[in-house]
Amino acid sequence: MAALADEKKSQQEEARHVTIDVGDGAAIPSKKDAGLFTAWRVAFFGAIATIVYLAVSKPDPYLDIIKFVPDGILVTFEVTVLSILLALVIGLFTGLGRISKNPLINGIASLYVEVIRGIPLLVQLFYIYFALGRIVQMPPLPSAVFAMGICYGAYMGEIFRAGIQSIPMGQTEAARSLGMSNSQSMYHVILPQAFKTILPPVGNEFVALLKDSSLVSILAVADLLRRGREFAAESFTYFETYTIVALVYLIITLFLSKLISIMEERIGAE
Amino acid sequence: MQNDSRRKMVEMKGVVKFFGKLKALDNVSLDVYDGEKVVIIGPSGSGKSTLLRSVNRLEEINAGTIVVDGYEISDPKTNINKVREEVGMVFQQFNVFPHKTVLENLTLAQKVVRKRSKSDAEKIAKDLLAKVGILEKAREYPTRLSGGQQQRVAIARALAMQPKLMLFDEPTSALDPEMIGEVLDVMVKLAKEGMTMIVVTHEMGFAREVSDRVIFMDEGKILEEGSPEHFFKNPAHDRTKQFMRQIL
Repeated sequence: MAALADEKKSQQEEARHVTIDVGDGAAIPSKKDAGLFTAWRVAFFGAIATIVYLAVSKPDPYLDIIKFVPDGILVTFEVTVLSILLALVIGLFTGLGRISKNPLINGIASLYVEVIRGIPLLVQLFYIYFALGRIVQMPPLPSAVFAMGICYGAYMGEIFRAGIQSIPMGQTEAARSLGMSNSQSMYHVILPQAFKTILPPVGNEFVALLKDSSLVSILAVADLLRRGREFAAESFTYFETYTIVALVYLIITLFLSKLISIMEERIGAE
Repeated sequence: MQNDSRRKMVEMKGVVKFFGKLKALDNVSLDVYDGEKVVIIGPSGSGKSTLLRSVNRLEEINAGTIVVDGYEISDPKTNINKVREEVGMVFQQFNVFPHKTVLENLTLAQKVVRKRSKSDAEKIAKDLLAKVGILEKAREYPTRLSGGQQQRVAIARALAMQPKLMLFDEPTSALDPEMIGEVLDVMVKLAKEGMTMIVVTHEMGFAREVSDRVIFMDEGKILEEGSPEHFFKNPAHDRTKQFMRQIL
């Protein structure tokens, strides 16, 4: 059916141009958006200047805070990196499951996505740490990583699904026509191409996850926010401490979103 | 022309295919013999691509049987990958792998499916690239190539598997006119080497030069078949006459 095939093809052509836009990370500063580009510079350098100014002009308590919280930055990164790695693995299998023709696998993957996306992350954290903790005792950091990985795995699954589906059907048909099995064509032909499409939204999720990782401070994980809380509780300098904590988060996320925008430009230029 | 002592490469009996309510193939039967070159023509939506795509099960049929190279591929239990190793396919949209170099396009399935060593696969690939006239592009990425060159890569990629049968689905329809010749030349060369070929195309010059049989399809049925000369000189059906007037 040439007419039908043509229609299919034109849909595939359209799918090629889809950019996956998951908007829960930081705003990505691109050169096309001049306003955002300027805002990025003002915010980034402004935040650094503010911290430096505060530390110099009022070393007590600001310098003490700046000395105390950085231990938490490492923990924040540790939680973020481990969670995103777990989420990537879960996301790959969820994405493959969501496009599977096997109704059972597809059903399980879809149910997972629906259930997880319907429950707030904070509730999931509580649930895994406290409720499931009655059955399987886990230290705070692994439970935090486990919960964040499961939660973001659902979002990551949708990114993988969209990325895989953005590759024209003809690529699969060509691979299968050469005698490759479904998994061989996925591994050698589809995923390497989908990878380029999903890299920017995955970066975006990384930034979103880094911000959400502040929630793990409720599980006695000594991340950036938790360190701030500890310092503030002892010194009663709530305003000063949270000012620094907020500025540090801001600098980290702005820096990472800049990296993503550079990465996006490189991919686009290829 | 048809000598039943020859081996049948493709044997289709009573093939029916639906797209929703639309009957794309309506009780189609067709035999293709070893070494034969069959050209399928017909108006848009007549089912000719669907027929071709059902030969390597890119379309699953709803009724009837298809036997390819002795394997009944209409039987879901048949390992279709085994059959596809022996059946090359060339698409209208080329479908070269954009993330692989031209050489890698040709060696990937050889290594993964045929389990050939890298050096064996590359030797076969380079010979084929020379044959289709683009050996100098071996290290390039296919997106930097013209449509005609991409299609020649796609043909060479299919040939690298050393198939027994080649399927061509409107291989020149997406090409600029000045590039059609270079692709047809490769196909003519292949035909003269004795490859069994089923070609969906409107290139009647190609049909006249190499095909043993032309099949005219309309509304999911084979309406008429015969030699290329038959179609040029005195097609039997009015639909066929009308179609031939449009494409010539």
